[in-house]
Amino acid sequence: MSTTTTAPDLVVQVRHASKTYGPTRALSAIDLDIRAGDIVGVVGHNGAGKSTLMRLLAGIEPTDSGTVSVAGRSKSARGGFPGARMAYQETNLANELSVGDNAYLSAVGSPRGARWRKHAEERILSRLDEMFPGHGIRAATWVGDLSLAQRQMVEIARATLDDDLRLLILDEPTESLTGGATEALYDAVRRMSAAGVAVILISHRIREVLEVAHRVVVLRDGAVASEHAAAGLTEDDVLRAMGGSDVEIVLPVTGAVSIDVPIVAEVPARDARTGTARPIQARRGEVVGLAGIAGQGQEVILAALWNARERARRRVKKAYVPGDRQRSGILPLWNVADNLNITAMRSLGRWGLRNTAAEREVVDRWVHLLNVRGGVEAQMAGLSGGNQQKVIVARAFASDAELVLLDDPFRGVDVHTKNDLYRLIRDEAARGRTVVWYSSENAEMRHCDRVYVVRAGRIAAELRGQEINEERIIAESFVIADDEEVAE
Amino acid sequence: MTSPTLERALPERLAPGDRDRLKRQVPAGVTLLAFIAMLVVCGAIQPVIFSATGLNLVLSSIVPLVIASLAQMVMMSIGDIDLGIGSFVGLVTAVSATTLSGTPLIGVLILLALIAGYGVLGALVHLRRVPALIATLGASFVWYGLALFVLPTPGGTAPDWLLAFAAWTPSAFPAPVLPILVITAAIWAVLQLTPVGARVRALGSNAAVLERSGRSALRTRIITYVIVGVLAVLAGLSLSSQIGGGDPTSANDYTLISVAAVILGGGSFFGGRAVAWGSMVGAVTLGLVSVLLSLLNLSSNVQPAVEGGIVIAALAGRLLVGKVLR
Repeated sequence: MSTTTTAPDLVVQVRHASKTYGPTRALSAIDLDIRAGDIVGVVGHNGAGKSTLMRLLAGIEPTDSGTVSVAGRSKSARGGFPGARMAYQETNLANELSVGDNAYLSAVGSPRGARWRKHAEERILSRLDEMFPGHGIRAATWVGDLSLAQRQMVEIARATLDDDLRLLILDEPTESLTGGATEALYDAVRRMSAAGVAVILISHRIREVLEVAHRVVVLRDGAVASEHAAAGLTEDDVLRAMGGSDVEIVLPVTGAVSIDVPIVAEVPARDARTGTARPIQARRGEVVGLAGIAGQGQEVILAALWNARERARRRVKKAYVPGDRQRSGILPLWNVADNLNITAMRSLGRWGLRNTAAEREVVDRWVHLLNVRGGVEAQMAGLSGGNQQKVIVARAFASDAELVLLDDPFRGVDVHTKNDLYRLIRDEAARGRTVVWYSSENAEMRHCDRVYVVRAGRIAAELRGQEINEERIIAESFVIADDEEVAE
Repeated sequence: MTSPTLERALPERLAPGDRDRLKRQVPAGVTLLAFIAMLVVCGAIQPVIFSATGLNLVLSSIVPLVIASLAQMVMMSIGDIDLGIGSFVGLVTAVSATTLSGTPLIGVLILLALIAGYGVLGALVHLRRVPALIATLGASFVWYGLALFVLPTPGGTAPDWLLAFAAWTPSAFPAPVLPILVITAAIWAVLQLTPVGARVRALGSNAAVLERSGRSALRTRIITYVIVGVLAVLAGLSLSSQIGGGDPTSANDYTLISVAAVILGGGSFFGGRAVAWGSMVGAVTLGLVSVLLSLLNLSSNVQPAVEGGIVIAALAGRLLVGKVLR
């Protein structure tokens, strides 16, 4: 373990902190010490209490009992503890404002004078240049016009705009970032750590946590399950500590769908090398993956599949699982049952009336099958992200859709939930459903029968069965200079 | 596993800044085209419109509507909506025709108190979480009742300085252009160039950002409502100068026309957008409808229907152009 603990001052000191929301106990008697320059990875399943702990540390919410002190203060000011900043997973940016205006609002110690905007723009751009060279972001661009990856960069950069930064909390910072940007971010984190800033890193990408962090804190059921030095720790060790002793990656038998099976969905596309037409097809009972770097046109393909007119006269019933659940997935004020039912209720009902008994049965089955925490009556907004995601996925599969489109729905979902959902997808495919699945996580693609690697809106490769592995996908995702010349 | 060429190429491909900028301008641009088209039609029928006196005549009746629309635009930029602005403008004309011309000092105090009332309304909306729609609807009846109390029947006389302003007709340029441009520019500057403006727009776009950065969303909302109040008072004074007195019901149709003007100008019901120039053009366009109808010798009774048609056509055009650009 690297010894950065020469500066003995404690930046974070948590003693017996507890927090309950209604009937659920989110945190129970947590103890945690973090020193200046520490990089601490916090891992745990969804609902283990990570987000709650971070809200306490950022000073957004008070503890119910126990104490939290950050940088020597145990009372937070409005807007949090001074010196403690957080980059949110869902980003904390106003979409209708420019990058510069967001930086102004977020930065600590912004001058109010005539040059307020210029100053904020210079500050955020220089920070972006420093953290993510080649980011391509302009200060005058509206945040809503940025790509997901760029928004995440802005979110991280704006969280560091504090001249007296003592604690930086990064909540799933790399979910939307490309490999290069991720490397750049962690380089910047190491530099900040060397300068004495304490960094907390929350990520489901355990390999990344192990690479960057000095220490790993494992949360389970609202308590610290264990603490480890990161050196020498393996991914399996962490998974086991998270309660993942039964985690086994179930690899399905894939690639077995024959040519005789009818095509359920098809959209025209082109080959990345030759430029010739090469349609994207999905057959009945097949799980088809769309891989490649985020933002290369996978969403466009999904949208085309959603809008496609079928060759056959028969209408194919479809369901769509969005990746951005906050924006387009959930009905936050409705309960789990209604959220889950909304697609299925039409096919369950008769003569335009709802069949509440059948709906109830469907909901009970899915809530039980996917083990949604909080149960049928829980309000959607009160669930953790992973549980919300389960409900959205269940909504699609509870319907009678033949074609299910998945738009990178498992970002920020814990390993257990993911394994449940992977199994579900395979089972449903075996029952004759067709699944088209875009994922930014290449490892997930192993659960597909066939994978199209998408590059700049074109098909770079089509992999089947045993050919599907991370190395192949990564290799095909990136532009090879010679290759491009052939294509032009 | 990084390829440097990709890292550099990707963001540029994904963030075509100019295209986005263009996309933002489209809504107001479509409205501007509608405005120009109407002006051309009016001018073709009655060429005198293009003289300073002609424009003066046409535009002077539109000034209060433009100011009220800017007030509505400020309100909608934080995601709230003001259903009381018509009654409020009517109340201001009543105060202007009675107290303000009789005992100016008390009149000014009353107007300031009304602006403060807007601030209180904002605080109420924020603290009690009353939807702005409901709060301002309720307030509209309060404003109307107060106006009837001050001036039961239309009449009274506006202060001399207001009447003098209305009568001012310089030969070099049409007088109404001055208040329209000055007030629009001022509101644009406040919202786009100042830190306060950034806070107001942030409140409409994502209120959590404001709270998490340690700034008071309550204060921002109150400031916004006070700005709305100030503009609504200006609209009332301007209307009073046009009609020469006061009338509690004179501005009732401003409430919904101002909302339409903001939407025509590129605003949004969901907040965050503050397009002062667009709202101004939207208001002028809607104001021109009555002029066009009278030039076409059509009954002014169909005016609301024509206005509605224009709103729908402009919005459809805007969606169409937006689709083409995407």
